[in-house]
Amino acid sequence: MKTFEEKWTAWLDEQLSGKELEEFEASLPDLDAARAEKRDAQKLGAFLKEQLAAQTLSNEEFFNHQLREKIAREREEDQPRTRSSWWTIPRLVWCGATALALFLFTTFVFLSQEQPGEQSEYLTQILNSRVDPGANPNATISIFESKTDNKVTVLWTEGLQSLPADYAAK
Amino acid sequence: MPLKAVLLAICFALATGTASLQGAHTVWSGLVIAENVPQPAPIPSELTKFEQTLKELFGYNQFEVIGQSNKTLKTGEEDWLANSKYFALHVDARGENDAGYTLNLKLYKEKDVLLETDANLSKSSPLVIKGPQVGSGQLLLVLVVKEDQQSARHRRHAEPANPIKAGWYRLRRAVHNVFH
Repeated sequence: MKTFEEKWTAWLDEQLSGKELEEFEASLPDLDAARAEKRDAQKLGAFLKEQLAAQTLSNEEFFNHQLREKIAREREEDQPRTRSSWWTIPRLVWCGATALALFLFTTFVFLSQEQPGEQSEYLTQILNSRVDPGANPNATISIFESKTDNKVTVLWTEGLQSLPADYAAK
Repeated sequence: MPLKAVLLAICFALATGTASLQGAHTVWSGLVIAENVPQPAPIPSELTKFEQTLKELFGYNQFEVIGQSNKTLKTGEEDWLANSKYFALHVDARGENDAGYTLNLKLYKEKDVLLETDANLSKSSPLVIKGPQVGSGQLLLVLVVKEDQQSARHRRHAEPANPIKAGWYRLRRAVHNVFH
């Protein structure tokens, strides 16, 4: 047994037919007003169908991609940071110790190359020297470095034959 | 792979850094007469840096250049002459090393060789040779690797202030030797 509202809705949708339709229209107090209301309802329905039809997205893929990325970001932020690094504390300690040992070893190796008493290579070195023994039989040669900051290396000769002042000419 | 690239870059930088130390230098060689005079002339500019050292070593108050030569060494194997009227200093450069140049020096009095010596002339250490007495003065032979801005900057590297720096420069030289 249908209620009046059910029959009214079915009548608006033109779902009633035959004897049921005749009985329902006969039961209406003002058939003309009801028919006008029916037309209005049908117009409204047609209008709404037209306006609310699904609008197609012109760049659907792009929006989907944006959406997926946003969701992924939010998931990452929500998760606790549990990813482990290669530089764990024990490894850091070992690397530090190894680097220090390497530094000490190379420092020792390179510093030990300079023998104590060896003349510094940053000073001028006299490798050998000789004077003409015939002309200067008593000549002697000595080598030293100045004690000043200039680091002057001196080859000091003694006993060379003296020359007259004329030899000082330019 | 990136680690290898970094290591290579470091090695290259070290090698080129040390290579740049071996740029061209000018060697000043001079025949100098040191004398005591009542009114000494100003010392030549090449000797000003060690004027006091010369005065203390030799006891003279004037140093006059009677012959000189400025030679720019490019290969380190050039030879040149600094001469005065009677003396000549022949310098034969026989190669460059980390600290300076290997030189053969001959002091001539006219055609006679008075003195011959082989030396490693350092870029940071002048060489002074006491020659014969000439009149009341003294003949000195002076050789200096001249300071320019570049070598002055490098000289700071050539005179390490502490053993750590010395070790570092030895390491750089070792790397340099590997690459050359």
